Formats: sequence, C-alpha cells, structure tokens
Amino acid sequence: MTNRLTTLCMAIAMLLTGLCAAIAQDRDIPSILQEHAAIIAKGSRKTIEPAIVDLRDSGQVDAQMVLEAWQAKELWQRKADGQFFTTTKNEDNSYTLFDVITGSEVGTADKKELKQIKPNSGIRGMIGAALVQFQLMDADPAKRLDALTAIDRDPNPTHLPALRAAIDAEPDADIKETKIRLERLLTIAYGADEAERVAAIESFSDALSVDVRAKLNPILATTRVATATKSTANIAAQLTPGTDLSKEDAYALLVAADLAPAAPTQDEIRLALGDNIIDGRVGGQPIATLNTIEGREFAYEALADDGLVPPLVTADEMQWAIEDHLFYDVYDEPSKAVTDAAETTLQSINTRVGFNQALDLGLDGLSLASIYFLAAIGLAITFGVMGVINMAHGEFIMMGAYTGYVVQQFITDYTLSIIVALPLAFGVTFAAGVAMERLVIRHLYHRPLETLLATFGISVALQQIAKNIFGTQARPLTSPAWLDGAWVLNDVVSISYIRIAIFVLALIFLTLLLFILNKTRLGLEVRAVTQNPRMAASMGINPDKINMLTFGLGSGIAGIAGVAIGLFAKVTSELGSDYIVQSFMTVVVGGVGNIWGTLAGATMIGGLQKGIEFLNPSNTLAAQTYMIIFIIIFIQFRPRGIIALKGRAAGD
Amino acid sequence: MNRSFFAKNPSVLIFIGCLALFTLGVTLLSEAFGTGVISTSFVKTLGKTLCLCLIAIAMDLVWGYCGILSLGHFAFFGLGGYMIGMWLMYARTAQIVTTSMAEADIPPTAQEVTDAIGNQIFGVVGGSDFPLIWSFADSLTIQLAFVVLVPGALALVFGWLAFRSRVTGVYLSILTQAMTLALSLYLFQNDSGLRGNNGLSGLQNIPGAEDIPQSVISLYFFWASALALMLGYLLAAWVVSGKFGSVIRGIRDDEARVRFLGYSVEGYKLFVFTLTAVIAAIAGALYYPQAGIINPAEIAPIASIYLAVWVAIGGRGRIYGAVIGAAVVSLLSSWFTGGQVPSINLGFYTINWVDWWLVLLGFSFVLVTLFAPQGIGGLFDQLVRNRATPQRGGAPLGPDASALQEKEADK
Repeated sequence: MTNRLTTLCMAIAMLLTGLCAAIAQDRDIPSILQEHAAIIAKGSRKTIEPAIVDLRDSGQVDAQMVLEAWQAKELWQRKADGQFFTTTKNEDNSYTLFDVITGSEVGTADKKELKQIKPNSGIRGMIGAALVQFQLMDADPAKRLDALTAIDRDPNPTHLPALRAAIDAEPDADIKETKIRLERLLTIAYGADEAERVAAIESFSDALSVDVRAKLNPILATTRVATATKSTANIAAQLTPGTDLSKEDAYALLVAADLAPAAPTQDEIRLALGDNIIDGRVGGQPIATLNTIEGREFAYEALADDGLVPPLVTADEMQWAIEDHLFYDVYDEPSKAVTDAAETTLQSINTRVGFNQALDLGLDGLSLASIYFLAAIGLAITFGVMGVINMAHGEFIMMGAYTGYVVQQFITDYTLSIIVALPLAFGVTFAAGVAMERLVIRHLYHRPLETLLATFGISVALQQIAKNIFGTQARPLTSPAWLDGAWVLNDVVSISYIRIAIFVLALIFLTLLLFILNKTRLGLEVRAVTQNPRMAASMGINPDKINMLTFGLGSGIAGIAGVAIGLFAKVTSELGSDYIVQSFMTVVVGGVGNIWGTLAGATMIGGLQKGIEFLNPSNTLAAQTYMIIFIIIFIQFRPRGIIALKGRAAGD
Repeated sequence: MNRSFFAKNPSVLIFIGCLALFTLGVTLLSEAFGTGVISTSFVKTLGKTLCLCLIAIAMDLVWGYCGILSLGHFAFFGLGGYMIGMWLMYARTAQIVTTSMAEADIPPTAQEVTDAIGNQIFGVVGGSDFPLIWSFADSLTIQLAFVVLVPGALALVFGWLAFRSRVTGVYLSILTQAMTLALSLYLFQNDSGLRGNNGLSGLQNIPGAEDIPQSVISLYFFWASALALMLGYLLAAWVVSGKFGSVIRGIRDDEARVRFLGYSVEGYKLFVFTLTAVIAAIAGALYYPQAGIINPAEIAPIASIYLAVWVAIGGRGRIYGAVIGAAVVSLLSSWFTGGQVPSINLGFYTINWVDWWLVLLGFSFVLVTLFAPQGIGGLFDQLVRNRATPQRGGAPLGPDASALQEKEADK
C-alpha cells in the first residue's frame, strides 16, 4: 500500500513541478543551486526532491552536467558563501575551484573552507532518474537507445514520467516505438491507478516477447501464508494440506507465522539426546534402545518432561494445528483487477508462445532431420541400393570434415575454402571408397556379415590414423561469416543460418541423387546391377565398374556431409562414429533401397528426437535412448521400413 | 552311436587339460601360493582374459554356430557386472558406514544407516535416495540370481521381438547394436540409478573378505574364472554336438530350408540367443570384481564389435577358436597398448605401438577376413586334420552363394 502511495505522490509531485518548471523557465542554474543550497548540503533523501526537480526542469542544457557532477560526488560547496564548484586537488593539499557551468578556474581554497557534497545512494538514484530524462532527449540516437536499454534493464518508478515526457518529442520513428512500448511496460508495474495498469497489461495480449512475460510474471508472484481466520488479501488459491502442499510444509508455515510451536526434527532430537547422556542412559532409557524412532521419542519426552528440552510435537498435535488453520497462496500484488488482467493476458500470450514453440520445434526437428539425412544418404546408396554394410561410412564423414579443416589451413578465406573443400572432400572420399571397394568389399559380396566386420576393421584403423595425424583434440572448421548468426522470426522462433544451409544442401543432394538414379544412364545401370547382376552383365553392363562407381558415389557424398557436419560440430576422429548408428537406423527405418525412404526415415528420427527432447529438455541422452527403443519397436511393425520395396526388387 | 561325448569331441578333453595345466602353472607361479614370478596384477589380467574367453565362447555359439551376428553381447556382459557390482558396492559401503556410525553417541536407526549408505553411493551424482532397482542390493543371493535373470530376460524379450518379425542378417546386427547403444546411453545418465558415467567402483574389495590379501583373492577369482570357462566350454560343446547342434548349424546355413523342414527356427534362435546372453552375463559377473570398476563405456557398441573381431580372428564355428582368438587378441592388445612393445624407428617417423596398435589390429582383421576366414583355429585344423570336412566334389554345400563353400570348408 505504501508503495502505491509514494508512487502516487511522486507522480503528483512530478506533475506539479512540471507546471512550475514552465513558469521557472528562465531561471539559471547557479540561482537554482543557491536557492536549494541548504538542502543540497544537508543531503537528506526526504527533502532533496525540489532541488533535483528544479534542476531537471530548468530547461538549461547545463543542468545535465551539474547533475552528473553531483551524482559523481564531484560537487564541492564553499562554506563561506555556499557557492558550488567542481575542484581538483593540488599538491599542497589545497583545491582549485572551477565554475560548475563554464568550467573556468575561479580560485583556490583550503580543504577546511570546503565541503564535499556526498549524496547517499538513494539521492544518487534520484539524480540518475532525473538524468535519464536528459539522455532520453539527447541529440544522439545511440545515447537515447542506450538510455532505453538502461531503463529496461533496471526500471524504477521515476523513469515513467520521464519516459512519457520524452515520447512526443522523439523524431526517430523506430525509437519512438521502442519508447512507447517501454512506457507500456513500465505502466504495468508503476502505473498510477488500477485502470491504467490494467489497460497497459491488456495492450500486450498479442505480444510474444520474453520481456513482456518477465514483466507480467512478477505481478502473479504469490506468497504462501497460513492464517487463523479467512484472509481478505488478494488470494490466488486456497490450499488443502495433504494434496496441494505436504503436511510438513503446512506445519512449517504455521511455525513461521508463530501459530504453532516448532517441532524438533529427528536430527535435533538425536543431538538433544546426545547432549543429555547420563551414565549411559538418556531420560532413564539405556542408550541401546535409542536405535529406533519410537525409542528416541520416548526418551526425548522424558527429557521434555524434566524441562531439559523443548517439548515434542506429536503427529496428532500437528494434524490438529493444521486443521485449525487456513492456507493460502496470496498474490503480492494487492489489486485483484490487475492480477486478473495479468492472468488473462499471460494465458493468451502463453497460447501464442505454445504455437510458436511448436513451430520452432518443427524447425529444429527439420534441421536435425536434414543432418541425419546428409549423414545417411551416402549409406542409402551403399547399403540401401547395393546392400553393402559399410561400417567405415562414419570414417568417410570424418575424412570429409578433416579435408575441410586441411583446406582451411591453406586457404584463409572461409567462403572460398568451403567452396574448394566441398568438391575436394568428395574427391578424397570417392577415391577412398573406390579403393576400399576394389581391395576389400569386392571379395565379400556374398558374405554380408563379413563385409560388416572387414569394414569395421577399416573403420578402427582409419579412426586411429586420424587420431595419430591430427591428435585427439577437436579441430575447428570455421564457417564463413555470412553463415554466422540466426534467422530470428520472433523471440521464440529462430534458426541458425548454418542449419538452413545444411537443409538446403540436403535438398540439393536429394534432387541430385534422384536425378542420377532415375534419369541418367549410370542410374539405370546401377538399378539394373542391383536387381540382377548377371542379367545386367549379359545386357552389356560391366557390374564391377558400376559397383565401384556406386560405392564411390556413396562414399563421396559422405565426404561432403562431413564438411557440412564439421561446420557446426567440432572435428574429431570420433565425429563419424557418433553418426554411424543413427545413419544405419535412418536407412533401416526409412526402408532399404529407396532414397525417399531415407528421407522419410531421417524426418521421423529427427522429428522424434526433438519431440522427446522437448518433453524432457534437460536430458538428450534419455531422448536418444527412448528414440532407439521406439525404433526397435517400430521395426516390429514395419520390418522393411516406412517405404518398403515391393515385388522382386525387395529381394530374398 | 555308442561313442561317448568325449570320444566324439576330443577337443574338449584337450582343452580341459590345457586349461588345468595353465591354471596350475599360474597358481604355482603366483605371489600367493607359489614363487611369485607372476605379479598379482598380471594374475588379475589373466583371470579377466579367461572371462573374455568365456564370453567369446558365447559369441561363437550365437554367431559361429547359429549365424546371428549379435553386436550386443557385451551389453549382457556389462549388465551381469552391474548386477554383482550393486551388491559389492552396497555391502562394502554398508560395512564402512556402520563402522563409522557405531562411534556416535546415539546408536543409528535403520533408516539413518540406509540414508548414509545412499548418500555415500549416490552423493557423486547429487542424490541420496535409493532407486527402485537397488531394492535387493543388500542380498547377495538375489543379486546373484539377477546376474542370470536380468540379462536373460532382456535377451528373451529383445530376441523374441526381433526373431518374431524375422529380422535377420545385417538388420539384426544393426538392431542389436542399437539396443546396446540405447542401454549404454541410458546408463550414462545420472538419474539412471546406477551412478551415471561414474559407474560402480571399488568392486575389487570383497565385503567380508578384508583379511584376505588381494593376491589371494585375485587367485580365487582366477580359479573361479577358469572353472566357469571350463563349464562354459563343456556346455557349448554339448549344445553343438547333438541334434540340436545340427539344427542350429542348419539355421546358419539356410534358415528357410530348416523352417520348411518343420523346425521352429525362432524358438531355436531365441534359445541360443538367451543362453549365450546368460553365459555372457556370468562372464561379466566374474570379470568386473577383478577389474574393480564398471561404467557405461564398457557397454558401448564398439566393445561388442571387438568381441566379434576376436571370434573371427580366432576362427568361428570352433569353440576353441573363440577361446584362442579372445586370449590372443586381448593379451596382445594389453601388451601393445601397455607400451611394452619397442617402437620401430623408420628414420623419418617412429612407430609408437601405443598409437599404431589399433591400425595394425584393424588391417590385420581385414586381412584375416579376406584371406583366412577360418581364423587361427583354422591353422589347428590344418595341423591336426582330424576335422571331418564334407566331400561334395565341388558342389555347393548350401543352396546359394552365401552358404559355406566347399573350398572354404576344405581350407
């Protein structure tokens, strides 16, 4: 209540002084200072008001300078005539005096003749608030914005009138809008009357930003109280002990409100018993019996009866005390109209925030899906189309990322280096893939399980070689500056440019692969060899060559994916193995032998993982666990994946 | 038909003989009962190696004989370790806590003791309450039963789900790998109830055996591991020797044909998968008290793949091959990574084996897969030549190209 009163008084005082200021337009600063010399020197928060207000409203530009000097404790008063100066200390401990306005030297004085004006923190705050008005009116737009930011960060009631006064004169439309918005925000907290505050709150019902929510939430802050009679305060909810709050908490509230005696805790009982051991007995009971709660309470009661310790409160007594009292959550804000308005507004904001969060989650899921898609699409070709399990696929991703890193050591322009790195990574991993196909996999086409193991051997070796060359610490692959930052839609929805770039890259690869497989001669031959190598061979296709090229293509894409992944993740030798299991699952879940299936699998896994993370944001490990369990169950129902091949192409 | 089990499987007797000699030798050279040539830590290493040989037998049974390349058997191994580790940690902490609380003026209540134990165990992950899965941690009997039951039940449920929907071949491998990954990620969480990535530690201290020096305890565990290995070998040899063995080999070579012959392929696979999971769990329960610490990293999918590597190098489809592979590769591995192998100076570069051992292992594994699919065990066959190899005169042994070929079988 008192808070509101002071706010009201202050507002009235401001209004009055504002009027006075219009009259006192012509007064110069020295005369204002002289007029209030006594109270300035006295430095009491209660009486200082007129001095600050007169200076603020003097209409003189120099007032700002004087106020700043005052606030910084740089103002000195000459005891003889009460004049104010700024000073510098000389070597002989005397002080040189300067005019507060012109800054010209006006003489020297001994320390004894001077008194430094040291405003206390309360007064400095008031001066600061008065200064805000000058800053809000400053000619430099940057300073005006600074002032607004400062107010926003640490608002106080005196800012409100200053801000209101500064709105009309604002020349810049954007800053004016910010000012109006800030004025509305401040009105919520410091508005003069209920209606004004309610109106301000309701004006934000279609807002979304964090700061509005931050202003509204404190209004709805509650305190938990226990009372003997029905409360008349602004009640948020009446609480039933046992359901809304635990009995222990309820009793603790009673104790805090002095409505019930404090009950000794088990710890206190144990300590009290320990303090009262006499000849191996406590309260007449042998120590050995004190190893149960009942035994301890029995001995403690005996001590309490002797008056040695505060009495024990039994469970029944606690229950009676709780039943005799009422428990409430009470709003700190006394006005019911305001809390109601805040509640409604916050609800409508939360609904909108919910929608936007869903959108944001969708974007997150999409971006994760495109990462999985990029990591898995090479595998979709080698594993999905050719049926070769390549455990070293993750290491091809890693090779791509390291290629990007090495390129950046030679080409320092990040944009150029990425442009060079992408085809180079493709070339390196294409070559590695072809070499691996020729040397190892070719001999194992009929033994898929052994392909798995042999490629695993290669994966282990490649990982260790990378570790030996590049060390175990993470290497940076820096993205070009134009990929920094994020596309911010509003306070809730935003997505970083790198993720958009990866999404675009994934789309490009999807189209490219679909084109190659479905529209080119190579694609035709690949599909022919996959379906029936002997028949393809008798049609004049060289299956060896096609297998080699297909495997190289799949590996090359892994290399490009490596550059993309390296841009947002640190490049380590374990980079690939982090993605390998997810990649295989993406392909299996999506449906083997089908690029669209891989897309569907990546979308499902990415969306699902983000969805689970949203339900339990603190725990990405758990999200992955649940996702894998979900996939294992999913495969029960669709063992051939989301998009299953039908007919002969399905194989076995 | 009247030949005894041992007469049909001479390798069993040879193996048991070798194992007995080895055990005796280690005992006579140990610090506790012998000359002390072998240090206690090396006795532990040997004991752990025997446990790894046991899980390799399980892997050989499920992969070499039944054709299921499971990349999840180390998960069962780890689960077995966790089950026994819970009791070891609980009982040991209980002892310490009770001793320290006995010095207080007022005797502690049962609840206070439990709270203090919980605080000791879970303080490191910011908790003090016992999760539900620790309900029976105070009972050795129940936890020992859990060593078998929990991994067995997991294998049963997972195998039933997987085999029922006819997931086979590489898909099954990926699925088992996913299961392992899920389990290890779950255990990595602090609120999984098993101390997150800290794992369970201090397992080498056996409660109630404080007076026995570690050198003796390690030898006890060594004997236990040798005994378990022997029993595991006998069990595996018995399982694969009879009609049952023929059926599971048939499943490996052509699942569809066995199914058309009227066998319940899923039932056989499920039995083998669960049985081997239990063997793996027992191996784990013996391994981790010797290792002293278990954490989720032990369960990571890569461990299970290494298991497949051992069996492949040793030679699958032969139980002794699995044992040889596990023993050779794991001992070589600890020899190389222990930094005891001299570096090779090439002039321009020094090959430090701690760094290059994995590269060597990886590539030699590729070479084994390509050129010696029979593994080291195949060499024995070459030497002994007592393995009956099928004679088909060049005709394929199985129905299609992926089945065992005669030229492979003859190698």
